[in-house]
Amino acid sequence: MSEVLVVDDSKVMREMIGACLRPDPSLAVTQAASGLEAIERLSLQAFDLVVLDLNMPDIGGLEVVEFIRGQDKLRTLPILVVTTRGEDASRASVLAAGASRYLTKPFTPEAILTEVQSLLGGPT
Amino acid sequence: MQVDLREFRAAYLAEVDEHLGAINAGLLAVEVANRAGRASPRELRELMRLLHTIKGLSAMVGIEPIVGIAHRMETVLRAADEAGGVLGDHALEAMIQGTRAIEAGVRAIAHDEPAPEASAALIAQLDAAEAAPASEQSLPPPIGDAQRPEIEPEIAEKLTASEREEVAQGIAAGRHLLRIDFAPTPAKAERGLTITTLRERILPLGELVRVIPLSRAATESAPGGLVFALLLLTEASAEIIAEAGGVPGSDVREILAARPLPRAVEVNRVEDLPEVVEAQRPGVLRVDVGRIDDTIEKLSGLIVTRSRLARAVGRLREGGADTRELEAIMIDNARQLRDLRAAILRVRMIPIATVLDRLPLVIRGLGRSTGKHVRLVLDGAGAELDKTVAERIFPALVHLLRNAVDHGIESPEERARAGKPEHATVTVTSSSRNNRQIEIRIEDDGRGVDRARVAEKAGRDVPTDNHDLLELLCRPGLSTRDAVNTTSGRGVGMDIVRKIVVEGLGGELALDTTAGRGTIFLIRVPLTIAIVDSFTLRCAGERFVVPVPVVEEIVELDPEKIMRGPRAGGRQARFFERRGETVPLVDLGYALGLGAESDGFTGKQALVVRRGHEDPVAFAIDRVLGQQETVVRPLVDPLVVVAGVSGSTDLGDGRATLVLDLLGLSAKLGRMRKDAA
Repeated sequence: MSEVLVVDDSKVMREMIGACLRPDPSLAVTQAASGLEAIERLSLQAFDLVVLDLNMPDIGGLEVVEFIRGQDKLRTLPILVVTTRGEDASRASVLAAGASRYLTKPFTPEAILTEVQSLLGGPT
Repeated sequence: MQVDLREFRAAYLAEVDEHLGAINAGLLAVEVANRAGRASPRELRELMRLLHTIKGLSAMVGIEPIVGIAHRMETVLRAADEAGGVLGDHALEAMIQGTRAIEAGVRAIAHDEPAPEASAALIAQLDAAEAAPASEQSLPPPIGDAQRPEIEPEIAEKLTASEREEVAQGIAAGRHLLRIDFAPTPAKAERGLTITTLRERILPLGELVRVIPLSRAATESAPGGLVFALLLLTEASAEIIAEAGGVPGSDVREILAARPLPRAVEVNRVEDLPEVVEAQRPGVLRVDVGRIDDTIEKLSGLIVTRSRLARAVGRLREGGADTRELEAIMIDNARQLRDLRAAILRVRMIPIATVLDRLPLVIRGLGRSTGKHVRLVLDGAGAELDKTVAERIFPALVHLLRNAVDHGIESPEERARAGKPEHATVTVTSSSRNNRQIEIRIEDDGRGVDRARVAEKAGRDVPTDNHDLLELLCRPGLSTRDAVNTTSGRGVGMDIVRKIVVEGLGGELALDTTAGRGTIFLIRVPLTIAIVDSFTLRCAGERFVVPVPVVEEIVELDPEKIMRGPRAGGRQARFFERRGETVPLVDLGYALGLGAESDGFTGKQALVVRRGHEDPVAFAIDRVLGQQETVVRPLVDPLVVVAGVSGSTDLGDGRATLVLDLLGLSAKLGRMRKDAA
């Protein structure tokens, strides 16, 4: 079982991503509705992968990545960043800060599932 | 398994609608700031974020016209943000038009039509706004470096320039900067104290500049190796913030004291828009709605205990004891509980003015886009209503204002020909009736509703009275406009208004219109309602409603796995096993007295409920039909508890549907079992 944390302030987006990952029964999805909640969950519970939105109130995706990479126990946690058209600059900085890969909206359900499985070390 | 993201369109529409509400409020805040000569960097960034979210979501469900508009609007905002956080009046107007265009797109999708492409005029307006932001606006003078307060380095290095400026402005305006340290732990999360709830608790008390996550070595008090530092600009003391947040006083400290600057010039401006943010008045306490709801929950517990007490007294009386004094006390107790409930519900009430004050921006935008001259007169008269009702009624008012400006009010030339003043007047009056309902009256002095035209469009006879006319107007999709127009889309909306007022809030809608003189819409809604997310289900051929939070699980019944136990209390006991736990199964139809006890459970489902830490009980039903928000009207006085039924609701078909209280029912069955044993 792989624990996946989906971080997005949009409920619809979280549920869409959850639906996209559902075909793989080995993925257990937890949702976080803000960057703050994500950081809090990551500090208290072990996850195998984070799917992260860039554009959130209070704490954006970039800061979440910086926090994750600043913590010893999270240094190797794979992070898949979800971006939107027109976010090229922030995408570059989030990759520089240590995000593993990015995916640009709109993406297909298959595309995100493939990315997640490959970051977790191939289809499980 | 094939995943189709188009299935998320309904949820998409609901979320975008919510964001559009926030965008309208944000634009109003920017307009107020502009008039006061202030920059609004925070509002602009929030608007940018909201539009960015709409853009991403629209891309996911394939609605390109909205992606395009949101993208252009975001670009305008970014330019304004880079120009010092000021959105000039032309750019603001372009943003209002863009928002209207997204709203029109959303309405089209809701009616299964493609969202219209952005008009060339709108694109040109947005492009012009991006190119020349804020030229006519004067920037507020930045706080000089000499007067800039020092912040501790650990925090200061994480703040952006605009956040430091925000702090400086806040300190100069007489607020102080507090730092709240919060280390999440599983135990705190168990108590409901997380960074999310803490943030919500302190947010109403000041301006949250930033929440900074700080990595620490893991200790007993910070087991996650994480401490959040929350920076709050506020007038409230550290003690009040600690109290409100539910954190120890030692975790809240002042890092910058207030240092009011002498004001250079006090400019008196004529404000025809209300301040959005109400200043904290002495003797007024802002309270998180969640806390009030929690109090209501606790009160429900008290009411349940009270009914147990009443039953115990009843048994004493039946046993021959003299219970006259006890019964007199019970009567007092019932009255006190009723008064307490009324008092708590009053706390949830907000002035109707908080809703009406959002209307001037709507009228202003409508007036500009139609070229009509409209004056809005608000008469609030201090009536109050429940916060939930207030939030739900707003979209209905916006629809009615749109219809008034769009269809009711004539062009200035037409008004001149009819001998009417060039400026049309829309009057919104509210008053409370008999302490139970609020009445809102929207009156325009336009041309009145054209009965013949409406009848022709609907393919019906010309209605003779206003009631029949309203019925026709509320037919879904009816439009009295031939061409798509800029503000009302296709003129749809009355069906939505009726949905909100009648089905959503259990209120009434009435119409009075006179050709050539104008139209009055009357809305009457209850001052308070209880809205619950509920399952609708079928049982013994009837439809019922059960609140979602009560249900622990919905299980598919497998007749092979249902075990029979001994007969008790005249009923056949049945059980099934669920994850190593034995769950008693009760035929809900039989328990409600709707028919003989069922023997076959093939294809049926059961709802598992659990009271507190007691054992669970499963109620067999035919099927769960769906899930929706319902307005629960108490059947009777809440103190007269009918086991199993808590109220009734209208699911939109005009019939009363009973709301079941499965917890109450399981308690009653538990007592019957004990009595029989």
